[in-house]
Amino acid sequence: MVDIENPTSLINKDYESIELVIFAEWIEDFERLANLGVGLILEPGDDVYLIQNQLDLIDLIALDFSNFDDGRGYTQAYLLSKRWKYVGEIIGINAHLDQLQFMIRSGVTSYQLLESYKGSNEEDYSNGFSLCYQAAANNNGLNLQY
Amino acid sequence: MYKYSEKDTQFLVERVDQFEKQLNRYLSGELDEDKFRSLRLRNGLYMELHAHMLRIAIPYGILSSNQLRALADVADKYDRGFGHFTTRQNIQFNWIQLPEIANLLRDLTDVGLHAIQTSGKATRNITADPLSGLTEGEIEDARPYCELIRRWFNLHPEFSWLPGKFKIAINGAKLDETALRIHDLGLRLVKNKKGELGFSVYVGGGLGAAAMIGPETASFVPIEDILSYLESVMRIYNLKGRRDHQKKLRIKFLVRELGAAEFSRLVDEDWQQTKNDPELKLNLKELQSLKEDFELPIDPIDLKGFRDEVDFNYSIWKKNNVRSHKVSGYSIVTISLTKLGSAPGDATSEQMRILAKLADQYSSREIRTTKRQTIVFPFVRKDEVFDLWKSLEEYDLSSPHQGTLAQIVACPGRDYCDLAKAVSIPIATRVQERFNEMNKLLDIGDLNINISGCENSCAHHHIADIGLLGMQKNGEEYYQITLAGETLHETNIGKKLGPSVSSETVVDAVENIVNVFIDNRKSEEKFTDVFKRIGIEPFKEKVYG
Repeated sequence: MVDIENPTSLINKDYESIELVIFAEWIEDFERLANLGVGLILEPGDDVYLIQNQLDLIDLIALDFSNFDDGRGYTQAYLLSKRWKYVGEIIGINAHLDQLQFMIRSGVTSYQLLESYKGSNEEDYSNGFSLCYQAAANNNGLNLQY
Repeated sequence: MYKYSEKDTQFLVERVDQFEKQLNRYLSGELDEDKFRSLRLRNGLYMELHAHMLRIAIPYGILSSNQLRALADVADKYDRGFGHFTTRQNIQFNWIQLPEIANLLRDLTDVGLHAIQTSGKATRNITADPLSGLTEGEIEDARPYCELIRRWFNLHPEFSWLPGKFKIAINGAKLDETALRIHDLGLRLVKNKKGELGFSVYVGGGLGAAAMIGPETASFVPIEDILSYLESVMRIYNLKGRRDHQKKLRIKFLVRELGAAEFSRLVDEDWQQTKNDPELKLNLKELQSLKEDFELPIDPIDLKGFRDEVDFNYSIWKKNNVRSHKVSGYSIVTISLTKLGSAPGDATSEQMRILAKLADQYSSREIRTTKRQTIVFPFVRKDEVFDLWKSLEEYDLSSPHQGTLAQIVACPGRDYCDLAKAVSIPIATRVQERFNEMNKLLDIGDLNINISGCENSCAHHHIADIGLLGMQKNGEEYYQITLAGETLHETNIGKKLGPSVSSETVVDAVENIVNVFIDNRKSEEKFTDVFKRIGIEPFKEKVYG
């Protein structure tokens, strides 16, 4: 266990447990935390621009999509993935089934659904449509037309 | 006429399939009310006072006759035999049963119609000039740009969960029939000094309780860069828009709080990062292909020697409802659906089928809708206008009200809408009854009245010559009056006349206002001209004594 306040953890895409810090803690103490190999939780209201120059210090970024109607996470994902070319894992946490296609195309590289969606058919919602009408952070597997 | 490809239709089918699954999860209790609300609104579905309302998009206000027939079928099969054309050029059905929604939408996919993003906190259908491509002096026909921008925002992954709804208008003409500066985002096609085509961009306009005229955030964005610029506007709004206050969700509040200069600076800063991204350049090849798809289906005809029929009623109708076309030998005909006692914009399925049949016969199978809830036939031969009028007469669709005071715009009001504070349609009827003399209407001339049942301003009362806004005072219905709103030549929000007036006296107040206008106007002056010259006081004196 590393020395961080209110530690939480999640399992990353390689099935390893990784400790997470909240945004405020990271901003205050990122030089020390950078050496601990932690991930960062970004809430929709956190200013993603503040970590723009620190991305190579962060192993994983977890974007919190728990608020169904708050779309700021999609722009955070876009900025991290497409604009700043963040190479670590961008995981959408507290994700909703019906929003998977939007998260994935915005640059989220993995996701953890909220518990309430357990047993649902994810492919119905994560595969998107046979056609998309615009470029986005992630255009993989889509038949582009824009 | 432009038609969706098979791939586009397949997309619509997939969207319906997805919504049907969501609907079934809701009906089985698997999906909660709040999330379903958010999802259903993005598919045009409202829970209204008595039943469910479904809003179908009429992209930039253009319909084929076959699409109108399909809408008539929907009205019969799923509604009570009528639909309601809205002030944003769409159509709504008010009596839809929840389990039938998917079948209804599936029926419409066959003709390329859908309800995607006709509501909810996402980018809505584009408002366009119903005369696009038809009149002299246009900078450029806006329709191909409308279509490319429509595609771009269709389920945009980054911008589908915005702080509030987002309405776009695009205009390519000199006069602004779209009211673009009262939209969240308005695009005006312009040419720079080198003659290159681009857009002036206006952001943060809106009606409602805090009506605002959108300031210009960019005077010239080259056409190929418009998508990256739009993305930057949306990105700043998505990140910084007010999500903490239900009444401050729209982008106008962000623009106002930051100031237009700072908002523009933020957008520009973001845009500098993306404007050279090849993926965000407008697809000029596709634009060219769309320009061909949108080519006018008519060629000039020589009608030398043609003399139109002489008929008193026809001449009145023609004066109000027919205007000149840029293609010689053709006219543009506006059909008013206004009838005493019926809701403005309402059309029965029978009327829709008749209009479709007449469009086949007289207008190259094309129909357009307008923000004044009227129908436009864009391609009528001058020597067939009389025959068209005769047919319209036969079906009771020859109202000569276009452009007169009687062509009232009104929202559904408290009779149908659970947001409304007061009725709209009965007030429209009473005004029409008061001004029922055609001679009087012709004498008054071009004057518009818009009636909204609440501050949401669905009837755009702020931009009418005379605007009425319904409200409640001590359990009684009252109406606040605004005067001299306009958008055609310049954009002005109507000025409040004074204290709201009661339902009993509101029609007297309207008549008094009209009389002040008539008594003071000089020669060809419009209502807004008179208002600017004499000010608000004479109107106040007459209404409040």
